Amino acid sequence: MGVLTAALGTVPLWGSDYLVLFFFLFCLYLTVAQMWNLLAGYSGLISLGQQVFLGIGGYSVAVMGNYYGLNVLLSILAGGFFSVLLALFMSLFIFRMKGVYFSIGTWIFAEILMIWFSNWSFVKYGTGLFIKTNPPLSTNETFYIAFVLGVGSVALVYFIMRSRLGLGLMAMRDNEDVSETMGVQVFRYKLYCFLIAAFITGMAAGVFYIFQVFVQPYKAFSIDWTVKLVFIVIIGGIGTIEGPIVGALILVFLSQVLADYFSVSLLILGAIAIAVILLAPKGIMGTLQAKLGFEILSPRRK
Amino acid sequence: MIDLAQPIINGLLLGGLYAVIALGLSTIFGIVRVVNLAHGDMVILGSYLSLAFCMWLGLNPLWTILLVAPIMFCVGFLIQSVLFNRVLGKGMEPPLLMAFGISIIVQNFLLLVFTSDARALKSDLSMMTISLGEINISLLYLLNFLIGLAVILGLRQFFRKTFLGRAIRAASDDVVAAKLVGANTSSIYAYAMGIAALTAAVAGVLVGMTFIFYPHTGPQYLIIAFGVVIIGGLGSIKGTLVGGFILAMAQLLGAHFFGPGYQLLCGYMVLLIVLAIRPNGIFGKA
Repeated sequence: MGVLTAALGTVPLWGSDYLVLFFFLFCLYLTVAQMWNLLAGYSGLISLGQQVFLGIGGYSVAVMGNYYGLNVLLSILAGGFFSVLLALFMSLFIFRMKGVYFSIGTWIFAEILMIWFSNWSFVKYGTGLFIKTNPPLSTNETFYIAFVLGVGSVALVYFIMRSRLGLGLMAMRDNEDVSETMGVQVFRYKLYCFLIAAFITGMAAGVFYIFQVFVQPYKAFSIDWTVKLVFIVIIGGIGTIEGPIVGALILVFLSQVLADYFSVSLLILGAIAIAVILLAPKGIMGTLQAKLGFEILSPRRK
Repeated sequence: MIDLAQPIINGLLLGGLYAVIALGLSTIFGIVRVVNLAHGDMVILGSYLSLAFCMWLGLNPLWTILLVAPIMFCVGFLIQSVLFNRVLGKGMEPPLLMAFGISIIVQNFLLLVFTSDARALKSDLSMMTISLGEINISLLYLLNFLIGLAVILGLRQFFRKTFLGRAIRAASDDVVAAKLVGANTSSIYAYAMGIAALTAAVAGVLVGMTFIFYPHTGPQYLIIAFGVVIIGGLGSIKGTLVGGFILAMAQLLGAHFFGPGYQLLCGYMVLLIVLAIRPNGIFGKA
């Protein structure tokens, strides 16, 4: 485990530019998918609106960097901060909804923000903004930030699951009513997870859009983001810490190999996802764990 | 007042179309308890099928309903019996994600076959209007409304009068009891999805005649369908009709007062407000 992490962290030293790009995307998808996993796999909150935070993170970096000349690291942090503020506001509405209604509620919020940003002169309507960072970052520097986020997100979920919060979450997932009677503060725990996920997702989005150099509402707030996250987590294994790692590897690999055939790659992804749901509903890692009785990153207490 | 009459009339007529778009989603939720996130894509699949027949046979788009509807019935029947029936009773996530997968496959299949160009089902109807004093009624909107109403009333009669319709209702009211008296719920669910896909096909042809569409337009109509169903309450046919009127009215009045850019936004706002106040919709069962 340690060796792999060290190898990943030093890709710019030994790998080609292509590998740096590959693992840069891997780290970012891993981060955002791990946060979706925290929501859907551990807290029972199936959000179809994570693109809200990706959009907000991207626009924060653009606006803070271009208009106010804020330092790039602070801009990324600002993306997380604004995402948390928005998540707090959203929670006023969507935490009254249960199950499917919650999923659609989050999605509708994303659609509202997409329309809002495409009608807002401050962010140049639908044309979008170019991103100038202060100071400009090299590819390797963006990679290191993504690496920290990727490793950080895995560690974060690991430590959350080992904590009191994690114990409560798992009890909730198994039976919400009983755990509430036993003293788990269901509402508050879910809200914590939602805010944490918003914060990390917002920051990862900032790094992604610094790499993209351009942020535009129809792409940034698009449901395509959540589609990818869902597939990463489902294929890898929902509710396992290792699942999103495997899933993100598969997604980035597929999208790189089939880069010239964008629609084919999504078609294959959709087919794989359906096959996984039918044949191995726990995903690759979940099925392996059940078969081998072995977890690499086990949040369980021995 | 007269300038308000136009958006209100249009809202009413558009509401009929929105109700058909939502009908299949509502039916499937009411019967199978699955939220079919691919419903919007089934509507757009209907539009593209109609387009294919128009180009191939040179038909008027309206007549293609007769061809598209049975094909979509089979598609729905197959999707339910091959895919959805296998993940029922395993919690909320698997069917939801399954539908998500189907949605992606349909979108990208359409993208491969028809490219990402904007399409429309052209007919002479789109230009015709009836003038009543200062109000213009688009013939196409009127037709949408009438066909929509016919489909909704037809479905209601089907559920009330026919054997299959009653069997579907029985399975929806109490699965265990329906099984006990010998109903095969798996095949009932497959028929129900077929019927939902059939209404999606009608909606798809009407949508295609009224608006332009792309392979990725599906989710947009899913959200409209969801809006209608949430306002009206999942699983209620009457609620679907009322929900359609409210959502369309909110959109067109919003566009009237704030400009066309805010048409969708106003619809979503009304939706969120309804959700926040009545989380199960106006006519919704808990």
